[in-house]
Amino acid sequence: MGEKMKEASYDVLVIGGGIAGGEAALNLANNGLTVLIVEKDLSVGGKMILLSKVFPTLDCSACITTPKISEIARHRNITIFTGSEVRKIRKKNENDFEADLIRHPRYVDAEKCTGCQLCEEACPVVVPDGYQFNLVGRKAAFIPFSIANPRAAAIDIESCTLCGACEKACPPGCIDFTQEPEEYHIKVRSVIIATGFRLFDPLLIPRYGYGLHKNIITSMQMERQLAPTRPFNTILRPGDGKVPCKIAYVLCSGSRDASVGNPVCSQICCMYSIKQAQLLMGALPMADVTIYYLNIRSFGKGFEEFYEQAKGMGVSFVKGKIGKISENPNGDLLLRYEDINENRVKEKVHDMVVLSVGIVANRDVSSFFGEGLLKLDPYNFVSQPDQLLRPAKTSIDGVFVAGTASGPMDIPDSILSSGSASAETISYIIGRNE
Amino acid sequence: MEIEKGKTYKYLREKREVTEAKENLKRFNQVRKLILDALKENDLTVDQLSLKVDMSKDEVVYWLMSLIKFGYVQTGSLDDMDEYFSYKLKK
Repeated sequence: MGEKMKEASYDVLVIGGGIAGGEAALNLANNGLTVLIVEKDLSVGGKMILLSKVFPTLDCSACITTPKISEIARHRNITIFTGSEVRKIRKKNENDFEADLIRHPRYVDAEKCTGCQLCEEACPVVVPDGYQFNLVGRKAAFIPFSIANPRAAAIDIESCTLCGACEKACPPGCIDFTQEPEEYHIKVRSVIIATGFRLFDPLLIPRYGYGLHKNIITSMQMERQLAPTRPFNTILRPGDGKVPCKIAYVLCSGSRDASVGNPVCSQICCMYSIKQAQLLMGALPMADVTIYYLNIRSFGKGFEEFYEQAKGMGVSFVKGKIGKISENPNGDLLLRYEDINENRVKEKVHDMVVLSVGIVANRDVSSFFGEGLLKLDPYNFVSQPDQLLRPAKTSIDGVFVAGTASGPMDIPDSILSSGSASAETISYIIGRNE
Repeated sequence: MEIEKGKTYKYLREKREVTEAKENLKRFNQVRKLILDALKENDLTVDQLSLKVDMSKDEVVYWLMSLIKFGYVQTGSLDDMDEYFSYKLKK
């Protein structure tokens, strides 16, 4: 152990501060357990906090997430480390785990920062904004997004010119370039893995032309365009700023496709695409939205009605497999597809194409424990040895899984899964004490 | 080195190379000048700006939207076909 390593102990370590990790932490904290949430990002809230609305109710996502996140952040039994990573976890005995963590420097004292954004105003550097999926720029001194928690600035040190403008502009004097990475050695009694998922990288399907044709975007980029804190003043094509009229969705982009290594259904793409199509019809009343699908999987409560509602609003559904997307000189996109119902190859031109990208496993998790100790399923999600009776159980006693770390699922299922993980954790801790 | 409160950036200057970050800054300043100069005379669409500043349209969109975000430019009116917005300097 290094000399600078700090020590602390908690009842439970929750890895990941998204909606699943947050919900599990809240359940545990409300039952009197002390919890440490380790989040690699600069804000808790995960992917849900970046969404526009949720399906099938079309409730505002931020309106649901923000109070929950605020409750988590203010809870006396919960400690949150943002911008932090788990390096190693060792199980010494039952109810006895040790974890090595690293807190990366934010270069801002988040406790003192008032979120006034004067540093952001003073900063001269503009780099692509990852939270807006690179559709617009942000400063090197920045608040991650308007409803971030903690709502404190951070310095992107890789992009910073160290001009000092932010430091001079900061009224409470909270910018501190002397911050160094901090190493922690933590003792906990149980661990919950809530590391979430990654979005499929559409560059892995070159025939779709993502990255090459600028008017092809991912569903998450469209999600940002539809959110109240959107990057543009309205829905625009990133390739030339045109207000799109004919918009196509390509479902199963990177899901149910063994050729790209992801043969499973991502469970959410059909419904989020239908949700976005409905929101687009509201934002652009003249828009013509077409969804190219293989099968519509509307399996949840209210999903089929939601699908029928979209059809009623005028969204076109074409059962078709996309072969290739090419670009016309004016930036429009030509979709060549197999119309499965008519058994014919057809072509259609659209202004903009949205790739409904699927969910893939977040592989970071496998490195936390010793080689092979935490078993993964064939798709690299955390394996659930007793999926029906004890879905939160993993291959290590005392380590539980919540949310999409165990496989694709929607938000309500993630929250349910967090309930299961927190109940299992409490049972494990109490059981070992008796 | 002695760290002066309010000038801690000097501490990191001795430790970090910022050449690439400075290049990015230079690029932003050049693009900002190009776009703001081009918009001095008329309101322009992305297409028109792209021709005037000799930059690809997608790059123009990115920089233009960033300049709107940081308060240099504002959105003007839509064209007759309701397809393209024009953009103007923020007064």
